[in-house]
Amino acid sequence: MTTKRKIVNVIAAILKYGLLILGSVFTVLPFIWMISSSLKTPSELIAVPPALFPEVPQWQNYKDAWAAAPFARYFVNTLIVTTCTTCGVLVTTVLSAFAFSRLNFPGKKTVFSLFLATLMIPGEMLIITNYETIINLKWIDSYKAMIVPWISSAFYIYLLTRFFMQVPESLYLAAKVDKCSDFKYMIKIMVPMNKQAIFSIAILNIISSWNAFLWPLLVTNSQEMRVLSNGLVRFQTEAGSSTELIMAASCMLVMPIIIIYLFLRKYIIEGVTRSGLKG
Amino acid sequence: MKLKKFGASVLAMTMAASMMVGCGETAADTTEAPATETPATETPATEAPAAETPATEEAPAAEAKNIEATEITFWHAMNGNLESVLTEITDEFNASNEYGIKVTLVNQGAYGDLQTKLQASAAADALPDLAQAYNNWLTPYIDKAVKLDDFVATDFDNWEDIIPAYRDECSEFGFIHAVPYNKSTYVLFYNKTMFEELGIEVPQTWADVEAAAKTVMDAKNIAFIGYDDLAGVVEASLHQDGADYVDATGALFNDEKGLETCTYLSNLYNNGYARLVGEDGYFSNVISNQNIASYVGSSAGVSYIKAEGWDLGVAPLPGNVKKAANMAGTNIVMFAQDSNKQLAAWEYLKYILSTEAMTKWAVNTGYLPVRQSSYETAEYKAYMDENVCAAACYEQAKDFFFSPTFDASNDIRSTVPSTVEQLVYDKADAQTWLDTIVKAINDQY
Amino acid sequence: MDKKSFKGYLYLLPSIIIMLAFTVYPLIRAIIMSFLGDYSIINHGYSSIGFENYKNLFADPDFAKSLKNTSIYVICVVPASIFLSLVIAVLINSCKRFKALFQTIYFLPYVTSVIAIGIVWRWMFNSNYGLINYFLGLFGIDPVQWLNLPQYAMPALIIFAIWKSMAFNILIFLAGLQTIPEDIYRAARIDSTPRLRVFTRITVPQLAPMIVYSSVIGMIGAFKVYNEVFSLFQGKAGPANSAITIVYYIYDKFYNSYKYGVAAAGSVVLFLIILALTQIQLRVTGEKKKK
Repeated sequence: MTTKRKIVNVIAAILKYGLLILGSVFTVLPFIWMISSSLKTPSELIAVPPALFPEVPQWQNYKDAWAAAPFARYFVNTLIVTTCTTCGVLVTTVLSAFAFSRLNFPGKKTVFSLFLATLMIPGEMLIITNYETIINLKWIDSYKAMIVPWISSAFYIYLLTRFFMQVPESLYLAAKVDKCSDFKYMIKIMVPMNKQAIFSIAILNIISSWNAFLWPLLVTNSQEMRVLSNGLVRFQTEAGSSTELIMAASCMLVMPIIIIYLFLRKYIIEGVTRSGLKG
Repeated sequence: MKLKKFGASVLAMTMAASMMVGCGETAADTTEAPATETPATETPATEAPAAETPATEEAPAAEAKNIEATEITFWHAMNGNLESVLTEITDEFNASNEYGIKVTLVNQGAYGDLQTKLQASAAADALPDLAQAYNNWLTPYIDKAVKLDDFVATDFDNWEDIIPAYRDECSEFGFIHAVPYNKSTYVLFYNKTMFEELGIEVPQTWADVEAAAKTVMDAKNIAFIGYDDLAGVVEASLHQDGADYVDATGALFNDEKGLETCTYLSNLYNNGYARLVGEDGYFSNVISNQNIASYVGSSAGVSYIKAEGWDLGVAPLPGNVKKAANMAGTNIVMFAQDSNKQLAAWEYLKYILSTEAMTKWAVNTGYLPVRQSSYETAEYKAYMDENVCAAACYEQAKDFFFSPTFDASNDIRSTVPSTVEQLVYDKADAQTWLDTIVKAINDQY
Repeated sequence: MDKKSFKGYLYLLPSIIIMLAFTVYPLIRAIIMSFLGDYSIINHGYSSIGFENYKNLFADPDFAKSLKNTSIYVICVVPASIFLSLVIAVLINSCKRFKALFQTIYFLPYVTSVIAIGIVWRWMFNSNYGLINYFLGLFGIDPVQWLNLPQYAMPALIIFAIWKSMAFNILIFLAGLQTIPEDIYRAARIDSTPRLRVFTRITVPQLAPMIVYSSVIGMIGAFKVYNEVFSLFQGKAGPANSAITIVYYIYDKFYNSYKYGVAAAGSVVLFLIILALTQIQLRVTGEKKKK
């Protein structure tokens, strides 16, 4: 019985890792392709059949891409916008999710549906009106314009509400008995218990903010205010695009996010899983 | 007080929006606001300024020039090398002009991004002083463009020197709304090595195209020709056949001529002489890999053709009863409101359109000179000697036509390519081609 | 109760202000726009008030096609992506080794820029030398003209979209799995409950809130598909418009054709469709939970 069980376990493990590795190949391959393309010559890029790796890595592509726009300045701007937006999102999201999951107030369901409904309209329809608003607020060409409209998202509020609802109601009632204020309860108990969810929200928002393209382009005019993703179009013209430079710039764009991801992951998640969540 | 007011409008908006959500489940939870409150949401502050925009004033004739130092913003979509050349020319102007005018270039991404931004800015009444634009972008806000007729009449060295088709394009709305700047045209790119190997002459007529295509098909079993712009090829072919394409009333080729053109095109595709670009994206990739003998595309794309192991040839488009070639590239439109800025912006336009600056622009970017005198400079002639593409473009400069802009023209541009693709997949006959395209176009009005 | 009500809105205030200004207000304008014929966003002029835009919209065969394509897309992408993500998340979560590595790898697609991903997937789908046809070839399947023929455009788009949306779902499910108390699993292990049973009886019910979230958000996102089309087909909507989606249609009407009213009407229709479906979805899943 136990040996049979052991064999089953081994087979299961092989299957499991096999599946995960196969999936990883499909997941990573596009990424590797992106890196390898960034090191190719233009004719290698369109060669038939394509080579997975360039004959001679063209590091020059990175130099050229870097030189095409003031990327250092763009980087600083992107960092400022992403940091502020993400902090804002976390604050508004935690507050709102707490209200929806623990507090009682009239019209809660309506407001919640309303929040959800804001996700249902395609953002493309909202852009021009929002641009007019920014112009009227005289926020054009400022960090405010790139940050403020994005510091609240029903997408994340809905997600965190779901997580907060998972936390047993009894904890809240116990805290009430101990005369713990709502706000303190939220900060001291709800937030630490849902670290991983909050981390996920942070990383999702960092990525979307980092890659935002059209909105920063619309609300800024000067080179000094542009962000990294705006640099990507430098390699496109009406009649074609320099794919190898786009790829090089994309790699440069992505690397900081991966570093942030790994850093945050180590910092936040590992602490959580160790301490356990048994309440 | 202010807060109260804000609170009220917030409430009204919330109510209005919750009514839209309109799910029965939630309605019971809230007391509905009286319906009369909802219109309040329609009067946001943002709409007010748009109303006071004055109709653009007529440009004043340049009397004794009295231009105050000022800053002009110019939105463009020139990237990479194109941007460096534009910057260099602009810097020269900023350094040399006697009035202290400073032109600030603002890169607004690619064409599509510039188009979106201009549209949004027109709505928000925040247009720049100058901007690159295609005519068909301008339809919703053409009345915000400054009429340049007086400037041209009184303060331009020689408007007649501008290539006639460009002048026509820049005055198609009944007044001069722009000056031409970064212009290109569709040309025939071909694999010279393959042509020589198979003994093919560069095709001059449709009949030549068909004959050459047969030779290539028999010898190599690949397509002879492809078109990057499917709406463009339909329009150009009709013109080459002496027919008209569209105007503000509808399709103009539902006749014998139209059928003749469709016969030519459908035969090319149905025999495999022509192919669609499909997954390759641009024909420049296909020809680089020698999977097609030639293609029609914008002269601005020549640098994307990688001729390794073969020689690239460039020729004017083949014609039928006559020659006709599409032109591409944007013009520069002036939106400056204040008369001093208009004068200053015009100084800049005059500078960049001058024979000398234009020649420099053309030689360094590969765009076509917009004026005859630039073509005739020693510098440009030397450039054409080395550059087959430029020479071919010049050869067909007399045959340029432009696509007219009217209410339905944008819809037509976006519907014709997919219609043609479907016809190619269906291997449809000429009559079906004609009927389908005419119907697709007329449905857009 | 009164005191509490004030408090709840206080917590919501920051979000409400931002949403009113940047979502609800433009949304209301879009709705108004949809009832105005030949509306101009420049001078706010219009020729008529009524359902003209809606009539034009439903008379347009392209819109009908976009509705059909989007529905197919939603039906295929959302369930497939959730199912696959769930399996992968559970597998990753049960790993003793390389858990962090797998977690990072499966998250990579989400980080990569859309432009780059589109180029890469065009290569994957290439009919002659793409990886996908290579794999199909191993099973004796002839090369598929994924991006060249209209009938394969939607399948290609769907495969691409499933791949792209999985990273997000895996992230959510992994976060959700962390909140399941270890005790439950330990009890199951002692009882030597079969793995599949553990998956269906413990993991899935415990993850239910996240699964509901993913399906609601996934469905809303899938109805608004645009970037995937744009990046896979290089700015077009596939060969002969075969992969046109509702938002692609709206975008084209708004930004290229300047038919603002029609675009707004399209958005309202899309809004109503999503609204109706999410209500059904929430109600069905809500009832299940009560049982």
